[in-house]
This record gives sequence, C-alpha cells and structure tokens, in this order.
Amino acid sequence: MTLAIVLIVVAVFVLALGLILFKRSRQPEDGVASFRRHIDALSPAARREVIDRVQNARDSGKGK
Amino acid sequence: MARDLAIDLGTANTLVYMKGRGIVLNEPSVIALNRQTGEVLATGREAWQMIGRTPGYIVAVRPLRGGAITDFEITERMIRLLLQRVGVSRFTRPKVVICVPSAITEVERRAVTDAARRAGAADAQLIEQPMAAAIGADLPIDEPVGNMVIDVGGGTSETAVISLGGVVALEAVRVGSFDIDAAIQNYVRREHGIAIGERTAEEIKVAIGSADPIGDENEAEVRGRDLMSGLPKTVLLAPEEIRFAIDDVVSSIVASVVRCLAKAPPELAQDFLVRGMYLVGGGGLLRGLAQRIERETKVPVRMSSMPLEAVVLGAGHCIEHYEALKGMFMGARR
Repeated sequence: MTLAIVLIVVAVFVLALGLILFKRSRQPEDGVASFRRHIDALSPAARREVIDRVQNARDSGKGK
Repeated sequence: MARDLAIDLGTANTLVYMKGRGIVLNEPSVIALNRQTGEVLATGREAWQMIGRTPGYIVAVRPLRGGAITDFEITERMIRLLLQRVGVSRFTRPKVVICVPSAITEVERRAVTDAARRAGAADAQLIEQPMAAAIGADLPIDEPVGNMVIDVGGGTSETAVISLGGVVALEAVRVGSFDIDAAIQNYVRREHGIAIGERTAEEIKVAIGSADPIGDENEAEVRGRDLMSGLPKTVLLAPEEIRFAIDDVVSSIVASVVRCLAKAPPELAQDFLVRGMYLVGGGGLLRGLAQRIERETKVPVRMSSMPLEAVVLGAGHCIEHYEALKGMFMGARR
C-alpha cells in the first residue's frame, strides 16, 4: 500500500517535471517563431496586396 | 459577419480601411452640432463646409486638435457615426485598429478605445501613427536597416526611425498644418489688417504657401474683412510673405526631424544617407518642405507615393495580418 502511494507520488512528480521541462524547451522556439511571423507579415510581399488594392482603387478613381 | 476595420483618426481627416475591401471612407474630422439640443446635424465633408459659415445655434467643430482629443464626448459620437456609416451595428461587431499620435496620453488612449467599443467594436487596438505610416509607405521595415519616416499631420508632426519591425527612435511635436494655417491668419491680420477664416488661410497655403523658395511663384488675391472699417477688402499676398509667416512652424517641424536623427544609433544613421527619409501626411505636401528638410539635415528626403493614405494603409495591413502583428499595438507585450 505504502509502496503504491510512493510510486504514484514519484510518477506524478516525474510527470510534472517532464511537463515543466517540455514547456521550457518550447518557449524559446515560440519566441523565434512569433518574431519570424511578425517580420514575415511586414515583408514587402505581404504588404503588396493591401497597397495594390488601394493604389488600384485610387487610379480607377482618377480615371473617372 | 462584420469586416474588421482600420481607422486613421486624424486631426484633419478620418480614413477608414475595411478588411478585404480597401479604403471605404475618407472625410474631414469635423462634426456639426446643434448648440441648444446637442443633436448631431452633419459629419465629415458636409460639416466641414459649415466651418465659419453657421448661424448662432450651429457649431461645426474638430474634436481633435494638436493630435489630442479636445472633447471626449464629441469624439465618441463622431467615432460611433463613422462606424455606423461603414455598416457597423450592434449585430456586426468587428475588430478595429485605430491610428493615434504616439504622444497620446493614457486617458486619451482609453477614451478612444472605449469610444470604439461602445460604438460596436468587439475589440479596439491602437497603433502609433509613424509605425503605421512606415508600413503604409512601403518601407523595408522588416529588414535590419534604418528607415526614417516623417509624418506631418494636421495637428502633430512625428518622426520615427524604424528597424526590424519596431520603433528605434521617435520624436513628436504638437505642430502641424493647422498651425501653418493659423500662422497665415495671424500674419494677414497683423500686416494687412484684414480678418480671414480658417478655410481661406488653408486655400492661401495650398495656392502660394512654401517652406523653401521654389521656382514659378505667383502672388494671390485674398478677400477678408477689414478690421478697421468692417467692410470686405481684397489684398495681394506674395509667396515670400507666406514663407516668412509660417517660418516658425516649419522650423519647429525641421528641428524635431533633426532631434530624431540625433537619437538614431550610428549603425542606422548611416543608412539614411543612402536610403533617405520618407515624408508622409497632408502637411508633407507643403511645397518646398522636403527641400527645406533636405537642406538643413543634408539627408535626402523622398515623398511617399500615397502620402495621405499611408497611415490608414499601414493600419489596414495590421488588420489584414491581425494575429501576426498584434505585438505592434500600443500596450502590447513584445
């Protein structure tokens, strides 16, 4: 009985430790990925669609 | 399902960009009210035409001055009306990104976001004008190079150095093209003894105003009210007079650009000599301003291809890529 309780406590402890280590190892990667997403969203290629949409609307307005 | 919106809440004009559609509204930031009942009579262009031409019971006002909100209640009503005009109702609750001057106070920030939320926005985020302007001016701000943008608006002039998607140095002054109009009004009153309105002063600025001597300059005939006799009177104004009249305001804008350049790290400062600085905003259209800044800073100045729309375009891009760019919003954790 005592052994079972000890085993459960150890298992919970190992699981918690594993989870903490997993989260820690993921954090830097998330930071890199989020910064990359941020920078990619600011690239000229990503902005092209918005700029072209407004430029075209402006040009067609001038033509009228 | 509501389409998300980006709003450039400027001192002079308000522009609204709708996700997937483009710019859907571009009107002066003016609201006309019945002084007795407080009822809104007109907004935008219609209200702008009323400035200085209303009977006693109507007042046409700009709720923003010097980049600051002068009347929170009126600003809130204007935002609500603007959102209604582009189809926002209590059943369609879009996300909204609003461009504001970087020098905005915490109280003003909360007033703008609260006004947007009360007007029907599900979420309201703010973005600094120079950052939005740099995105909209199509500068390579995703690269580790110095990008400099000068946004001369109606009530504020903001200069920012941007690199790798963030602001490196920023300088803002609460001076803009409305101060140029006011300087012209004061000069004509002082030197020619005639009173002119805000709109006439703006017309003079557009017709013969310049920050630096330019070729092909003409004189302009100006009509106003003689301060002595009270009768209508016409005077002739020379471009040199207007340059002299607005020199203090222009010098203050140029000085803020110089201060921003001085704040930039040396690694980025050298980039400006090659890439130049970009001028956006309605005030940037003042003739000779680019030359004047160039002459005083020895750094090339280029005009953005869409100076009036650059800020809303930048905010529009943020609404199109909301999740990826939400770290750019004011108060966001980076």
